[in-house]
Amino acid sequence: MHRRTAIRNLALIIGGAALLPACMQEKGKATVALKNVDINAEQETLVGDIAETIIPKTNTPGAKDLDLHLFVLKMLDDCYKKEEQQSFMTGMAQFTDAVKKKYNKTFADLPVKQREEMLLGIEADKDPKSTALPKELKTFYGIIKGQTVNGYTNSKYFMTKQVVYELVPGRYNARFPYKQKQSA
Amino acid sequence: MANLNIDNVKDRTFDAIVIGSGMSGGWAAKELTDKGLKTLILERGRDVKHNIDYPTTNMYPWEFEHRGEMPMAVQEANPIVNRCYAFGEDAAHFFVKDNDHPYVQEKPFDWIRGYQVGGKSLLWARQTQRWSDFDFEGPARDGFAVDWPIRYKDIAPWYSYVEKFAGISGNKDGLAELPDGEFLPAFPLNTVETYFSEHVKNKYSNRHVISARCAHLSKPNQIHLDQGRVQCQKRTLCQRGCPFGGYFSANASTIPWALKSGHATLRPFSVVQEVIYDEKLGKATGVRVIDTNTKEAIEYFAKIIFVNAAALNTNLVLLNSTSNRFPNGLGNDSGVLGKYVAFHNYSAHINAEYDGFKEWTTDGRNPAGGGYIPRFRNVYKQETDFLRGYASGFSAYRYQQRPWDGVGSSLKDNLVKDDLSGWKVGSHMMGETIPKESNYVALDKTLKDQWGIPQLKISVDYDDNDEKMKKDYIEQLTEMFTTAGFTNIKASSDHRAPGLDIHEMGGARMGNDPKTSILNKWNQMHAVKNVFVTDGASMTSTSCQNPSLTYMAFTARAADYAVGEMKKGNI
Repeated sequence: MHRRTAIRNLALIIGGAALLPACMQEKGKATVALKNVDINAEQETLVGDIAETIIPKTNTPGAKDLDLHLFVLKMLDDCYKKEEQQSFMTGMAQFTDAVKKKYNKTFADLPVKQREEMLLGIEADKDPKSTALPKELKTFYGIIKGQTVNGYTNSKYFMTKQVVYELVPGRYNARFPYKQKQSA
Repeated sequence: MANLNIDNVKDRTFDAIVIGSGMSGGWAAKELTDKGLKTLILERGRDVKHNIDYPTTNMYPWEFEHRGEMPMAVQEANPIVNRCYAFGEDAAHFFVKDNDHPYVQEKPFDWIRGYQVGGKSLLWARQTQRWSDFDFEGPARDGFAVDWPIRYKDIAPWYSYVEKFAGISGNKDGLAELPDGEFLPAFPLNTVETYFSEHVKNKYSNRHVISARCAHLSKPNQIHLDQGRVQCQKRTLCQRGCPFGGYFSANASTIPWALKSGHATLRPFSVVQEVIYDEKLGKATGVRVIDTNTKEAIEYFAKIIFVNAAALNTNLVLLNSTSNRFPNGLGNDSGVLGKYVAFHNYSAHINAEYDGFKEWTTDGRNPAGGGYIPRFRNVYKQETDFLRGYASGFSAYRYQQRPWDGVGSSLKDNLVKDDLSGWKVGSHMMGETIPKESNYVALDKTLKDQWGIPQLKISVDYDDNDEKMKKDYIEQLTEMFTTAGFTNIKASSDHRAPGLDIHEMGGARMGNDPKTSILNKWNQMHAVKNVFVTDGASMTSTSCQNPSLTYMAFTARAADYAVGEMKKGNI
């Protein structure tokens, strides 16, 4: 399988917290330097709020603690085709409108429960033929979801504190006992 | 280039010149310097020093800007090399980018190249299976190409010789079609690979699933420690360059060994324009290189020249080495130079699942990659409607299932679950292809590279034999999978262009008859006795086993012969 396809399909192989400089925040502009997509501060906040809803701060770090929203934007800027980037921007506007229509509020003003409800509603619309939601909106959310999880599971935090990554395993046991845990 | 006084012919004269520093060139350099020859190693790319020049080798996943993924702009600018499985953020610096070194595709051909000291030996998949007489007798028995001028007994001691030094792990499986070698302990098959191996053994008398033999130091010997290499640590990050020297590369092994002898001079940034032929002396006297930094042309001289530029570039160098005596390329009296190019057909895969052995998994990583199924078709006699056959990779694995539906704290909980999937199994085809006159490389008549050297035109394609063989692979593996109780079996054909297998061979083939081949049984040019070609270009046919080990063995054997001939005054 081609590397890129593998990443898209599994979404758990790579990713992580972007090592990005914490730039001085100029009013109206995003904090992350992007070459191909034009994201303003408000849009960056929206991406951040969605990422934080996906991976919230609990007793462990959340998306914003790990700058995952900046990673999402970095990946959007560097690793997607122009058409996907355009869909992302169109979908972002559609998302904003859909939130407004449903709750008569901005996403930022929604309580966590309604934020989750909004995102789960998009995830529930799985059928590619469904026209319940515009396809750009689903692309927009799909990129944020995929890259947030990608960034999270491959962040230094996750790979050193949650599921430890071994750079040098030093061993191969071909026959190793395994007991399937009961899922919580 | 402070030390090279280019005005002094004496300073530019060596006993031997080796063109190329990769898999086979590294071996030529090692063997020639071991025998005391003052040797110049020419490399068209930059130097890559073991450890020092492996910038990503100790990086963690989160330290890569895009976590391993190549940026879209790089992918779109490099459609050819981007199709190579190893072209990722951790190893891209070892691959030639499409636009840096263009070539002409008369038919689609993905030419994957590594222009640096060590060449593609940094990047290879490290599979090292010997060839047997079923391979070397193939063309004569089945009536294609020309007869190999050697048999297994000629090369067997040289396999042993290179295996001991390179370090090959494997089991002595006792199979005539895949001769045993000098092995370090094998990386064992896992539970489902073992199950499949036993199933296949019971059901088919002539089919075997064995631990893939690979160039990894599972348990190093003194000779490996002497090279500065230590035990493989099972990182399986090999394409970055290995800080342990756990797998064989020219960078970790043969090149530093040659340099340590004190007899070698390594000259990177030196692209060879041509081998210089002296008509009065009736032999090659040296090579003309272009310094890729200064664009200056410089001539170097030697008694013996080894051409190890990698299969297709070796063809290019020879085709571009013209003279009154050889107007169509060096040693090309027969007119076959550049022709009869072949490759390996890697275009079919099959995947499935196995619902069992859930109490077993693996721990750590397997650098051998799993199992290997030697060729079982047409081995002892012709039995199908296609010639030759295929080897197959086979591996079984489980992966961590971390459901990532949903959002919030429940998602966070799911992402740390270590529930494993059931067993997945997969195989890929490695098919022999038939060398044909119509599959060829040639110099383009008009297009040149940035140094004025003609671009290579490649015209290589699959044929009907390949299609029939692929169909058989899918049928046979499907049957083997089905009878093993595997489920959800999915075969696929990916229509890849030739070249992506990175096993291109031929063009300057060996043979008994100077009228139909370029090289004799010693990899020595029939017509120019002091020129040797021991890389993929010299292959008369392709077998279906991975070729690098065979290049190494041919190189060591040819170097031994060349030095013997030199000492006898014959060259």
